[in-house]
Amino acid sequence: MSESKLLVRGAGKYVDDIKLPNMLYMAVARSPHARARLLSVKGGLNQNDLKAAVGGGGEGWGGLTNPALAHPVFAQDTVNYVGQPVAAVFADDRYIAEDKLDEVEAEYEKLKPIMTIDEALLGEPLHAGTKSNFIMQRWLGTEFEDPKSPVVLEDEFSVARIVNNPLEPRGLIADYDGSKLTVYISTQAVFSIKDGLASTLKLDESAVQVIQADTGGAFGSKSALYPEYIIAAYAAMKYKRPVKWIESRSEHLAASQPGRGVRGKMKIFADKDGVVTGWRGEVLVDAGAFGGSAGSMSPFFIGMQLTGPYGIEKAHVLATAVMTNKPPQGPYRGAGRPEAAFFRERMMDLLADELKMGADEVRLINTTTENFKSPLGLEIEASRPFFGQAVLDLKYKEKSKSDKAGLGFFVLLSAIWGGESARIDVQSGKINVWLGGNQHGQEHYVFVKKLLNEELGIPQDIVTLNKGDTSMLKDGVGSWGSRSAVVAGAAVVAAARKLKKQVESKEGKYTVENLLRGNYSSEVYENQNVQLNSFGAVLATVKIDKFGLVNVEECAGCYDIGRALNPKMIESQIIGGTMQGIGQVLYEEVVYDEEGNLLTRNLFDAGLPIAENMPKFTIQIVEHPSKMPHHARGLGEAPTIGVPVAVVRAIERASGKRIRHTPVKPQELLK
Amino acid sequence: MKKVKTTFKVNGKPFELELEPRRLLVSVLREDLGLTGTHNACDSTNCGACTVLVDGKAVKSCTMFGVQANGKEILTIEGLAKDGDLHPLQKAFIEKQGLQCGFCTPGMIMTSYWMLSQNRDFSDEEIKRMLSGNLCRCTGYYGIVESVKYAKNLMSKKGGDIE
Repeated sequence: MSESKLLVRGAGKYVDDIKLPNMLYMAVARSPHARARLLSVKGGLNQNDLKAAVGGGGEGWGGLTNPALAHPVFAQDTVNYVGQPVAAVFADDRYIAEDKLDEVEAEYEKLKPIMTIDEALLGEPLHAGTKSNFIMQRWLGTEFEDPKSPVVLEDEFSVARIVNNPLEPRGLIADYDGSKLTVYISTQAVFSIKDGLASTLKLDESAVQVIQADTGGAFGSKSALYPEYIIAAYAAMKYKRPVKWIESRSEHLAASQPGRGVRGKMKIFADKDGVVTGWRGEVLVDAGAFGGSAGSMSPFFIGMQLTGPYGIEKAHVLATAVMTNKPPQGPYRGAGRPEAAFFRERMMDLLADELKMGADEVRLINTTTENFKSPLGLEIEASRPFFGQAVLDLKYKEKSKSDKAGLGFFVLLSAIWGGESARIDVQSGKINVWLGGNQHGQEHYVFVKKLLNEELGIPQDIVTLNKGDTSMLKDGVGSWGSRSAVVAGAAVVAAARKLKKQVESKEGKYTVENLLRGNYSSEVYENQNVQLNSFGAVLATVKIDKFGLVNVEECAGCYDIGRALNPKMIESQIIGGTMQGIGQVLYEEVVYDEEGNLLTRNLFDAGLPIAENMPKFTIQIVEHPSKMPHHARGLGEAPTIGVPVAVVRAIERASGKRIRHTPVKPQELLK
Repeated sequence: MKKVKTTFKVNGKPFELELEPRRLLVSVLREDLGLTGTHNACDSTNCGACTVLVDGKAVKSCTMFGVQANGKEILTIEGLAKDGDLHPLQKAFIEKQGLQCGFCTPGMIMTSYWMLSQNRDFSDEEIKRMLSGNLCRCTGYYGIVESVKYAKNLMSKKGGDIE
């Protein structure tokens, strides 16, 4: 039965649907303070039982140069954000586990928290033994003298923190048999979880097996190793019973490592015809309370993408991440790409207004007719052919007259670095496939079956794509960064070609019959160490009522996806991502007060878009083949990059007010 | 905690349970009866992933105690397919890409089931409004609205599946 047939019957097996015999439920006691000394803690498992810090790998891991900045598994002597794990309790029943939280006694001495980037820059260091609140700071590009260009524009922008909020919260079951730790988990990256658990708990990698349960969405929040995972694994080993932890929504809002939370100061130089001659930028990321998260590398990733699809010859960017008393910043769909596009496209609109040029004209004149490597390290393909056509297809000129449309150009850089693995087994006429990075709503099985059919001529109904399982492959990376159809797809193609050779050497010749009557196994790890672009352009129109409420009327987009392997899913992902982009602009934000208390308490506060917020969607798929063997390009994050840019510009034009941040509140738009 | 005898029907089958009064209906369905198709995603009646029908009305099962279901008839996602045949709504959600990760899907289908049981035509705007108590983070709702309309068509061709 196909995946979606199971899911519409409620017959999926998400991690909370799995029950192991003799299982304990875990509940986590969390810090009620943004910053405090933890004078003592009693009850449950706590800092007195396990002194360890979160290690990790994968998308949620930004690396750690200073061990003093590591996220402790249990708070050690201090707490640094509301929701930080302090202790964990266990019971046979979930309700009783929650009751047992009352048994945890923690004594705190409150300290003044650091809640903003400015406070972090100027205030005392959060952590003892450190001199500042910087996690990373580096320059990108090369210094240049101010060009003698007549137009110089400067501005400052910000994007608020957003919680990823997949509908299924985080969760896992850890089970230890005395020698081996088996983990069932809702995740984007079984290998990152395995590597992280093994290194943090000092276990041999062969003693850890991580199996993916059906995973109910992630949007970046399920690739990192979290303290709760380590606690559950540690408890399973200590109590010799399986331990299940399923987070509540309020825990997800407080402690799941939300995304965005970035500020940008931009200064550009341009000629009268709109050609940008130089770009200076400063990117400041609110990385939260500890190093090691995605926040530690996101300033660099945002910085390198600042010139986007434009051929700008001079650029110099200072990329900085600072610590505040909030949960560590993690990747949220786009993970740095939407921030870079927001800062850049806001400046392009500013330039269009300054020169009284069309927003399309000022953009097009800066696109390139040849491949281009930016001073910041971004490699782009010739962008003018795509964008020239996109502006026509989107009917920008026409729509812009009547509706004051907003326009955005972007390039999505798929995270194909690191490559991906695939394994194909043939036995008894059936084909079983495993991937290093697995689906959590994207239907990887569709491209796997399609590519195997093309490469090997085998019927799709004998192919099964199995769930992620670290015991079935030597290594793997994960599903994030718009990479799966590209790199997991390329790995499937390579594994299929290897299989074909195996059949040829055994049987003399490849035929489907020869393949299916044998037993074969083919595993590859494919790594294409190149930058891969997907171009996209989005047009949005809005109406604003007298209360300042914005209604997005239309979102139209042109997306180059290389090759459409699963057209229905592509359309669905574009629409879903469009709604997330609209959410960022109009509704979504994590709000803390000055004391660091989390004011965003449920999904309603978090501002998830609802069905009534849907605009009219117009989607155009462009298939400009990539250099990958199956010609795919990345897609998943594309709409979250392009949509906010276009919607913000449409709001700006409809309201007559300059927009410099997201979300945009109705009260800001009142006449 | 003192337990309370509670009897109700789920998907046509009678149950008699001794329940702690504080247990939410969603916990009773998932943990006591093993009907894990009803999902729990927000604990706060925001998301609708736990929607079931109670005496024919769509109810978020995290907003009701199990003991409050005493004497009632409950329909969950597991009760829709008949003799292995998917309900038209289930077929429609597959056909019209009404899902990606599938976590909100049972709740979406149950709310839609209630909507279609009202036996009248809804405009697109009304469908969106009625789905506004159910959150989906993946699809952007378009496929879900299309699924509901498509199911309505499938059912009117067959003379109706919802009694």
